[in-house]
Amino acid sequence: MRRTATIGAAIVALSAIGFAVLAQSESDEDLVEGLTFLGEPVTAADIEAGQTLYAENCASCHGANLEGQPDWRRRLDNGRMPAPPHDETGHTWHHSDRNLFVVTKGGVGAVVPSYESDMPAFEGILTDDEIADVLSYIKSTWPDRQRQFQAEVTANDRGAP
Amino acid sequence: MTNSTLNFEPDRRHFLALGMGAAAGLVLPGAVRAGDGAADIRTLAFDGDTLLAADATLMISPDGGRNWEERPTPAPVASLATHPARPGRILAGLARGRVAMSGDGGATWTTRSDGLASGEVTALAVAAGNPDMIYAAIRGDGLWKSEDAGATWALAMDRPWLDAAERDPLTLASVDLETGMGGIWIYAGTEKGLTRVPDCFCRWQDVQPGDAMDALAAGDAPPAEASLPTDEPVLSLASALTAPSKLYAALPSGVWASQDGGVVWTHKAEGQGRAIALHPRDENHVAAILDGALKLSRDGGATWIALAIA
Repeated sequence: MRRTATIGAAIVALSAIGFAVLAQSESDEDLVEGLTFLGEPVTAADIEAGQTLYAENCASCHGANLEGQPDWRRRLDNGRMPAPPHDETGHTWHHSDRNLFVVTKGGVGAVVPSYESDMPAFEGILTDDEIADVLSYIKSTWPDRQRQFQAEVTANDRGAP
Repeated sequence: MTNSTLNFEPDRRHFLALGMGAAAGLVLPGAVRAGDGAADIRTLAFDGDTLLAADATLMISPDGGRNWEERPTPAPVASLATHPARPGRILAGLARGRVAMSGDGGATWTTRSDGLASGEVTALAVAAGNPDMIYAAIRGDGLWKSEDAGATWALAMDRPWLDAAERDPLTLASVDLETGMGGIWIYAGTEKGLTRVPDCFCRWQDVQPGDAMDALAAGDAPPAEASLPTDEPVLSLASALTAPSKLYAALPSGVWASQDGGVVWTHKAEGQGRAIALHPRDENHVAAILDGALKLSRDGGATWIALAIA
């Protein structure tokens, strides 16, 4: 009886180790080289999820191809600025990971007090992980120069974790 | 013309000298006429040690304001900009539109404004860390930038939105303080006060301590202890290249100075301020138009001497 229990425990332990190794192997293969968000590695699955979330929550203003609203440097009649592009023609890549995350979660007013913007705060609409996925997707579309610039801005962000 | 006070008792020699001076003024149309220029001066700048003052004409003093020469410009000048890395290069924003550039201290000019919107160039600035990056504010339009020393232009940003309306930048200054976004700030004075935008042009915003993220990290920005008067236009700004946290501003109430990037301001001189400039190598060497007169300070605005543009 004791022998049977010992064998069973060994099987369970080996299975757990096997699953862990397998999962680790899949995760490593899934990592996107050179891309992190808030210091964490980004996987292809994160980007795929982010792309879907972007289409559902962001594309209506920022464009299906991240191109922003037309004439986005000109103010709207209400005094607010149009949604800027998130591709390399915009200014998103000048902002650190923390800045992008905070603006997305809390709205622009979270960074620039009293600033009026049509950009909503996504807290309560998207989870922190989902916001990270969206921003990881956006970062994944940038050319090397913009990605490297933004990595330096993120590294120099004094308030970054 | 010196700034010394003269106890003048004319004798025969003085009359002779005055006569010769008057004759020279008639013969040499470029010669400067004493004491009559400063009231109309709209903008000041330093090109190295050379002081520039402009409105309908450009006046140049190579010796600290003692002697002046007039330089022709393509049109009346609304704004000037220089950079110590480009000695002899003067950029002039023209009151009738376009930006003119001189590479020889104002002797000759070319107009380089491909793509630039039409309209008065109310303000010009050269990026502190990039002498070929030029910013121009166009009245009724927006903020434009050129990455090739003014040859070609692209819209950078609409005008700042202050007190429920767009406001023209009346003055611009590239301030070499980090934005936290991989760049530095562009400050603008408007009829409704001071504002600034990062050079990535994401948004105009109030001046507050630190960079754009510091306020968030520390909670809401603390109220400024001594901001500029809120009921006056900021007509002219100057940033010290040698000490970027140091700013000067000319307002109708006089000259103001800040040691902390524009959060806390000190009133340095009474009078109707109009224009201000800082020497590129000495942040205490200030030129200003106050009550229609050109005044110089060598001690950061503590004391001033009046000079005649003549």
